[in-house]
Amino acid sequence: MSGLEDFRDELETCFGTSCGFCERGCPVYQALKVKTLSMKGRNRTMLGLLQGKFDITPAVVQAAFECTLCGNCDRWCSLKNTDHTRAFREHLLKHGIEPMKEHSSLLASIRNYGNPWFQPRSARNRWTKGLNVPKVALGQRDVLFFAGCTSAVTRQLNRSLVASAKLLQKAGVRFATMGVDEPCCGSTLLRVGQTDAFKELAAENAKKFKSLGIKKIVTACPGCYATLKKTIEEFGTNIKVTHVAQEIADLTKSGKLRLKKSTERMTYHDPCHLGRLGGVFEEPREIVRAVATLVEMPNNRYEARCCGAGAGLQSAFPKLSRELAAKRIAEAKSSGATTLVTSCPFCETQLRTVPGIRVVDLFELLLDAAQENEKNEPFKSAS
Amino acid sequence: MSYIEELVSALGKEKVLLDPSERFVYGTDWSPRTPDEFAPPDVVVLPRTTKDVQRIVKIAYEHDVPVTAGAGLTGMLGGAIALYGGIYVDTTTMSSIVEIDPKNQTVRVQAGATLQEVNDAVQAYDLWLPHQPESKWVSTVGAAIACDNDSTFGVRYGKILNCLLSAEIVTGTGEVVELGHRKAHFTSSGYKLKDLLAGSEGTLGIITEATLKLEPIPAVRRVDMLVFPRMGTAVDYLSKLLKAGLCLEAAHINCKQRLKFYTHSYRQKFGKDPEIPAWAEALLAIAFAGDQEVVDSQREYALKIAKEFEAQLVEEREIVDAWWASKYTLDFEPFKQKWPDSQKQKKFGAADPGIPVGRLEEFYHKFVQVATKHKLEIIGMNAYLEHPSSIGFSLSCAVFVDYRNPEEVRRFRAFHDELSKLAVAFEGTMSTFMSDTYQKAPYLEVEHGASLRYMREVKRLFDPKGILNPGKKFPREAEKK
Repeated sequence: MSGLEDFRDELETCFGTSCGFCERGCPVYQALKVKTLSMKGRNRTMLGLLQGKFDITPAVVQAAFECTLCGNCDRWCSLKNTDHTRAFREHLLKHGIEPMKEHSSLLASIRNYGNPWFQPRSARNRWTKGLNVPKVALGQRDVLFFAGCTSAVTRQLNRSLVASAKLLQKAGVRFATMGVDEPCCGSTLLRVGQTDAFKELAAENAKKFKSLGIKKIVTACPGCYATLKKTIEEFGTNIKVTHVAQEIADLTKSGKLRLKKSTERMTYHDPCHLGRLGGVFEEPREIVRAVATLVEMPNNRYEARCCGAGAGLQSAFPKLSRELAAKRIAEAKSSGATTLVTSCPFCETQLRTVPGIRVVDLFELLLDAAQENEKNEPFKSAS
Repeated sequence: MSYIEELVSALGKEKVLLDPSERFVYGTDWSPRTPDEFAPPDVVVLPRTTKDVQRIVKIAYEHDVPVTAGAGLTGMLGGAIALYGGIYVDTTTMSSIVEIDPKNQTVRVQAGATLQEVNDAVQAYDLWLPHQPESKWVSTVGAAIACDNDSTFGVRYGKILNCLLSAEIVTGTGEVVELGHRKAHFTSSGYKLKDLLAGSEGTLGIITEATLKLEPIPAVRRVDMLVFPRMGTAVDYLSKLLKAGLCLEAAHINCKQRLKFYTHSYRQKFGKDPEIPAWAEALLAIAFAGDQEVVDSQREYALKIAKEFEAQLVEEREIVDAWWASKYTLDFEPFKQKWPDSQKQKKFGAADPGIPVGRLEEFYHKFVQVATKHKLEIIGMNAYLEHPSSIGFSLSCAVFVDYRNPEEVRRFRAFHDELSKLAVAFEGTMSTFMSDTYQKAPYLEVEHGASLRYMREVKRLFDPKGILNPGKKFPREAEKK
């Protein structure tokens, strides 16, 4: 990972270009129209800071942290803007800026409980109750199902994990979990600028994964997906990282599931880390198409707008975060959809705060459609 | 109270940015400048309404403080840089669509709406605003008027002035005035003060709202590219197309070298530059738009005539598509947008003269000579047709500028000035899409002679204290930042 100074050439290129194409899809800029909070403006702030044109002030800190790191700016650019911003946050913390108080509590929770939500470690395995899911042991399973902190310790989100696990079983994926020993992936640390803490955690995680002899990690959370991919890349272990959607999309085509298809118009919200930053667009859509009528929002796939929950914005800037969620829901409604489907616990929780449309988890949707059908016609096969 | 205290009191502190880091962000645009050449204003204000702008200008008038209005900050010659400090008015915070009138094919918008935002809003009515510069995602209505920037579809629809029916401005005294003729397309009444706004650079007033004429969206568009042995032959061909009665939607002549700057997507896809015949000097891109049958028949006739001019159709569609992506659709591969990718070491810098029809080829060779003399790497020349149904050239004579090298930036500015003055000697004009800014201000007399005095009087009438964007069009004695 690079420090801010390593990006100086890129910051100067942005200065030299000044095209501002990043502004069009930036959810924060479009909501507030303040240039210091657009990527072009943020790049200038970073350059000015490196040039010693001004000191670190609350406005500089705001420019660094009032961003969801959704990567929409990157889609319209060829510079690594989200990496600049991450390095910007790290730079500020290393120059004596205290973490934002809302972020400090998340960090304390990760340190003490292994998750950002102040839940005991025992809560992490709650969702597996009643399921026959083995705990990973060396040489027993090739695939590790990585539940992720948020869905595992939040009761309302447990159902999505159960659905994911059942669907994986139906898809014939032989997997295990780490149970209460599953660590935090470190996504939050990485995105709020706690790079050293992240590096330490990532190194530990890479070592753990290696010691388990697994060949693939299937994540339920897009944030874990992006972060574990980065961990695996940086620590050079030969483990593949995928998201549940990629593993089960074939179920809808292979005929292993008999699905009840409804005529309801549903739209799919691409989570930033799975879609734009992970390149997984079509598998979730195949699932929605298999059970309903898929309609697209004006901004979809690479151009999908962030739900507003990411990178610490929800905790540190709740008002703005809610505004971004409301905009995304308005977009969903404009598509004529009556249900918004997503595949990320953050997006799901965030978008549910805005009334006016049903928000459902992709995997629950698929399993429900299968079970609806099962009432009359049982699963064809359940490997 | 100081003027800043008054601004905070009048607007509320959330609309006033004072932190040095915030002001710094508003201190530069796309013009070739060295990385430390920022000129931050003393305060940035974020108005939401015309009333806000009026309050700002009245305070500035009282305190004799400069007021510079800006928007996307994508200007290529420093037009919106607050050279003398003072107040920077960010008009992008005023971006509402005030009224869409589909029956009369007009839209009323706040000046800070981007051209793309206007089109996003009116598209549902099968209408569009055809003034389309490459910066349309960022360029606002107000900036397009104040800078008089270029449009891809000029040969059919003209530029922003051809779309502008009426505009609301706040003058240098803080008075709100509407200039124009409501929803009528033209007028013979009074003086056409509205027309003064095109290219005025915010020196006469801050544009706060505008009523724009919309056009029906054509059903089909076909873009083609032809290569010609000489620039002059391409001009003759265009002349013949118009004489034949064809309705071109876009027409652009590129020198062979310039094409490379527009084929970024092609290079991304194939890892090489497109191959253009060695004998070719010019490439002409033309577009027809309308109903399929009309487009087909016009295109067929245009290609038939091309044979008389030793032209050759570019058959490789990827070349045409790459050029069109750069020029209009901006449909770049994700994470590989053209502008930053093509400006990593050196950046785009241009002079923007207008040349009489018959002297294009001659001027092209002069451009190459002048760029070479100033030791600048040539990007090439692009000649846009910017007047409806006639051949009127707006030239982009572009070079790469190593913006990290102050000496090269200085040479670029000398190149720009020499080419601007040469354009007047060619019986043309110094500027066709970037306006004068501070760069041409010292020698505006070369172009305007005695009429410059009348322009000063006009300026004085709208802005008696000279507080609006000082240093632009007319030099100011005070020291530049």
